Amino acid sequence: MRILGALIHIAFAAIFANKLRSGLTFIGILFGVTSVMTIMSFLEGAMGTIEKQLQALGPSTFMVSKMMMAFSEDEFLEKMKRKPITLEQADLIDRECQLCDKVSPRMFTGEDIKYGSQRLRDVGIMAGKSNLIDIVDIQVAQGRFHSSEDDLYRRKVVFIGDLIRETFFEGVDPLGQVIKIGSRKYTVIGIAKKRGSMFGESQDDFVIIPLSTAVRQFGLPRRGGVFLTVKAISVDRLEETMDEVRLLLRTTRKVPYADKDDFDMETAESILERFNQFTMMFRLVFVGISGISLVIGGIVVMNIMMVSVTERTREIGIRKSLGAKQKHILLQFLFESVILTLSGGVAGVALGFLVAQALAGKVDLDINPSAVAISAGLIVSTGIGLIFGIYPAMKAARLDPIKALSYE
Amino acid sequence: MPLIETDNLWKTYTMGSEKVHALRSVSLTIEKGEYVAIMGPSGSGKSTLMNLIGCLDSPTQGEYWLNEKRVSIMNDNELATIRNREIGFVFQTFNLLPRATSLHNVELPLIYNGTSASTRDEMAKAALTKVNLADRIMHKPSELSGGQRQRVAVARALVNNPSIILADEPTGNLDSKTSEEIMRLFVDLHRAGNTIITVTHELSVAKHAHRVLSILDGKIASDESISESQRNGYTD
Repeated sequence: MRILGALIHIAFAAIFANKLRSGLTFIGILFGVTSVMTIMSFLEGAMGTIEKQLQALGPSTFMVSKMMMAFSEDEFLEKMKRKPITLEQADLIDRECQLCDKVSPRMFTGEDIKYGSQRLRDVGIMAGKSNLIDIVDIQVAQGRFHSSEDDLYRRKVVFIGDLIRETFFEGVDPLGQVIKIGSRKYTVIGIAKKRGSMFGESQDDFVIIPLSTAVRQFGLPRRGGVFLTVKAISVDRLEETMDEVRLLLRTTRKVPYADKDDFDMETAESILERFNQFTMMFRLVFVGISGISLVIGGIVVMNIMMVSVTERTREIGIRKSLGAKQKHILLQFLFESVILTLSGGVAGVALGFLVAQALAGKVDLDINPSAVAISAGLIVSTGIGLIFGIYPAMKAARLDPIKALSYE
Repeated sequence: MPLIETDNLWKTYTMGSEKVHALRSVSLTIEKGEYVAIMGPSGSGKSTLMNLIGCLDSPTQGEYWLNEKRVSIMNDNELATIRNREIGFVFQTFNLLPRATSLHNVELPLIYNGTSASTRDEMAKAALTKVNLADRIMHKPSELSGGQRQRVAVARALVNNPSIILADEPTGNLDSKTSEEIMRLFVDLHRAGNTIITVTHELSVAKHAHRVLSILDGKIASDESISESQRNGYTD
């Protein structure tokens, strides 16, 4: 142990004695680790944001629609051919499902909306029942969400996102104002709290209207149909609940016994899992490409250590003549390369994280230092010091003391 | 058993297809406390003999016992341990680490046998005091004169209390006045009980020794004791 401590000390002394050379090595690793860390933090931040969105659903909730996700063209085309889930089917589940706590049908469309002479093009329109507010990540800031009576009587009332309020009603109380969605007039009854943006897209660019009103005005969207969000009575009975809904839907949609479901059912967890799987290759490629710079950094380390060993041949000879064993010389040089790469790694982890955060600010991602990314950065930089330092260190350790002593 | 005993030592180098015998059947014994000079012209094999005695190299053939250890069959790492414990080298070119202080240079052998930092410091200071350099411990070699550098090297050779001090042309890079100073230091060390072997081709260096071994063509040509009167007035 005492010898190790002294060898580490010697390694540090050599590093500080050659500031230029050490600095270059340090920078080589710093840039490599920085680029890997930036990419990793960025990807993790993106995945984290998606995860957070999905988890807002809650663990006992699942979604049903004719198509939730498609990861290939074939899958997409096949699912497109399915019949949409209708409002009647949604109502049937709501009535019949014993294990369902809440069934919330939703549909989506897009229309231009107008207020006086102002116009917003192709605004996302979400339509749902009064319980929609319980299952989406939207809060009421002012006024109210629509009630079951509004839905029952197909009232033309609208709950608006913050961006709509900001655009149309600067300095005006929006409540009670009338806006036009498509060709019909709607009365504003509530305003949502600002949600901010994600991936650079505003999340406040929406209006919500009662489902029955929407069906009368727009019909059932042929492409998507109704999306169902179902909350089971408990997390433990999620599987059972999904089975019950599946059975009800298969029966009413008359799916033959041996056929697969002609609709998708996904929980937040299953969506996340499939999304992770789908993006895995993509993420690996990104990290791999940025890893190339680390390999280049490693080659720089090896090169510089080789020069260092050659330059210090005589020193090695002196040390050996005084009783340094091969392992002592080996460790001395290995410590030197690892100290250099590890310090480059530490700085790279910090810098990479800062760069990722600066970039993330532009696209509204939330980036936090993760234990995985930090330990990966540190382990990889240590590994590079070991892998690319071992050959020069072995070369040093194996020098013949007599030849090394007479080296000029 | 003598401190050093070699039996029939051979060292053969292969250069291409030719075999060069640097040492041919050298057998010698050196007792503890002796002051021996090994002399010979360049190419005589005296450096090869020094490398073998100093455990920097292994013989091609023959036996070598140092302090009752059979060195001739040892591997690299075992030889390193022997060099560390039994031998203190003094080289012609000093071979100090240029960036290190006198103190660090002297404590180097102690690092490799696991001596604690505080003990290293103490022992290195004591060794530097023995060579009258107590006031130069934080100086780097470039800040010292040639004679002072060689004295740092002597302190480094002494620090671990080795069985032999092995000096290779210790005055080769020094002027005559400084050479005398270093030779006096060796005489003092010998008087204090150290075993000293110097390799030299200079008679002025050899004549301080009590015994001179002459090497010629890889063989011991002569082995003579030197009487007190021949030792240029130095007495011990």
